[in-house]
Amino acid sequence: MSRTRHVNCVIPPYILEKLLESDDRQVRQAALDTLLTTARLRGERAVRASFAAAASANGRRTVFDCEQGRFLQLAVLARSEDGPPATDEAANRAFDALGLTRDFYQEVFQRNSIDDRGMRLDGYVHFAVKFNNAFWDGREMVFGDGDGVKFGDLTRSLDVIAHELTHGVTDFTAGFEYHNQSGALNESISDVFGTLVKQWSLKQSVEEADWLIGTEVWTPGIDADALRSMKAPGTAFDNAQFGRDPQPDRMSRFVHMPDTEEGDHGAVHYNSGIPNKAFYLTAKRIGGFAWEAAGLIWYESLKVSQADFQFQDFADTTYRKAGELFGAGSTEQSAVLAAWREVEVPISGIPTGVARARSLAVDGSDGAGREDGVAALGRQLSALSTRVAELADDVAALKRAR
Amino acid sequence: MKVTLATYGGQAAVADPRLPPRELDSDALPGNAAAELSRLVAQAVAAPQEGGGGRAADAMSYTITVEDGARSTVLTQSDAAMSLAFAALLTWLEKYFAKR
Ligand SMILES: [Zn+2]
Repeated sequence: MSRTRHVNCVIPPYILEKLLESDDRQVRQAALDTLLTTARLRGERAVRASFAAAASANGRRTVFDCEQGRFLQLAVLARSEDGPPATDEAANRAFDALGLTRDFYQEVFQRNSIDDRGMRLDGYVHFAVKFNNAFWDGREMVFGDGDGVKFGDLTRSLDVIAHELTHGVTDFTAGFEYHNQSGALNESISDVFGTLVKQWSLKQSVEEADWLIGTEVWTPGIDADALRSMKAPGTAFDNAQFGRDPQPDRMSRFVHMPDTEEGDHGAVHYNSGIPNKAFYLTAKRIGGFAWEAAGLIWYESLKVSQADFQFQDFADTTYRKAGELFGAGSTEQSAVLAAWREVEVPISGIPTGVARARSLAVDGSDGAGREDGVAALGRQLSALSTRVAELADDVAALKRAR
Repeated sequence: MKVTLATYGGQAAVADPRLPPRELDSDALPGNAAAELSRLVAQAVAAPQEGGGGRAADAMSYTITVEDGARSTVLTQSDAAMSLAFAALLTWLEKYFAKR
């Protein structure tokens, strides 16, 4: 609360914005006129300031308080990287969550902040009035307080915050276009790393984790577990007020909606359930800590994916990356193969029978123990088919290169 | 003048997507409020649409439709890129609908 960010008029901008709420119509009009005339100038200054500060910041955190306003340029400083804790717990929670997400990417993947070049992390709390949302606007992270009826304070949910920051990571890597299947991949990547940040911070194994996104978001009065379930898409909530969680968990249940705002850009928050489940199944089959193998496969795949990727393209990429990282025919690669097959996005170029045999081989609870001969044969077959698939990939790459 | 507000997107979108657009008729407002709404609408229509925000992930977007006689104006902006004039109109409408 110590200073405004861009002071350029006599009346501090946050007071002007408060005046917009005045009961006196003329006061409101005067405030609006002043804001309208100064906004453009302030916007230009803000852009220059953020460019100047962007270089080599190593993910330095700054949290601003919007004081219920809608304009980030008018927010006041609440906490900085080297400053003391704020008196406002929402600001401290946002600060801590930004730090955990930054540290996760650094320690697990040696990624230096969102852009891998130390991009500073700016968070804005108390955005607008009773605002039921948190979002990433391409440069900064914005949190509402919730209306207290449906949603609580959005700074309470680490996985939602990590989800939002991961949209930034995706922007700087694959850049998945935010509509239809590539948009659902964009959403899914945010859920995958959102939950991994939570699991990593709690040191939870695959079995210990709840695989839920946004358990803290709903108020206690709402009968719902979370916003989404990665383990069982379609089961995060089911109540009279909001109906049933509409996320599909496999391709045959893919949700078709128009590519419009009303249509959630082609159901990106719905169909993310399908790749979410594929990640969960991969992690479950591999076991241990999900961020170690499954997370690495997904992260390395994200870095080599393209903006217009469909589910099939991304699935094939994870399979190829798993082979490169852990070896063709490895447990990890077989886990990837089986997971995508289960959500009905079978990896290209692998015959169904071979994929099924490899799934059985890797899934100990599903037959490997009692069918050693079949499992061993399956492993041999799958190693062979992996080599064939890799050869096919090489041929395809050569063709593209010509 | 008829003004309609539709809200899309955000974290709650999947759980809560079917809120009907909210609407009001300025004929039903007291004179002062109707005049103020007209001014806010005129300023929002005149303000340049904020571009560049594009499809900011998980931001909410708002469509305000103004029907005045035969003329219909549609304004759509998002939390990630919004003109001050649009925000002033949106805030006024949200307060009005919250009270109703
Ligand atoms: Zn998202």
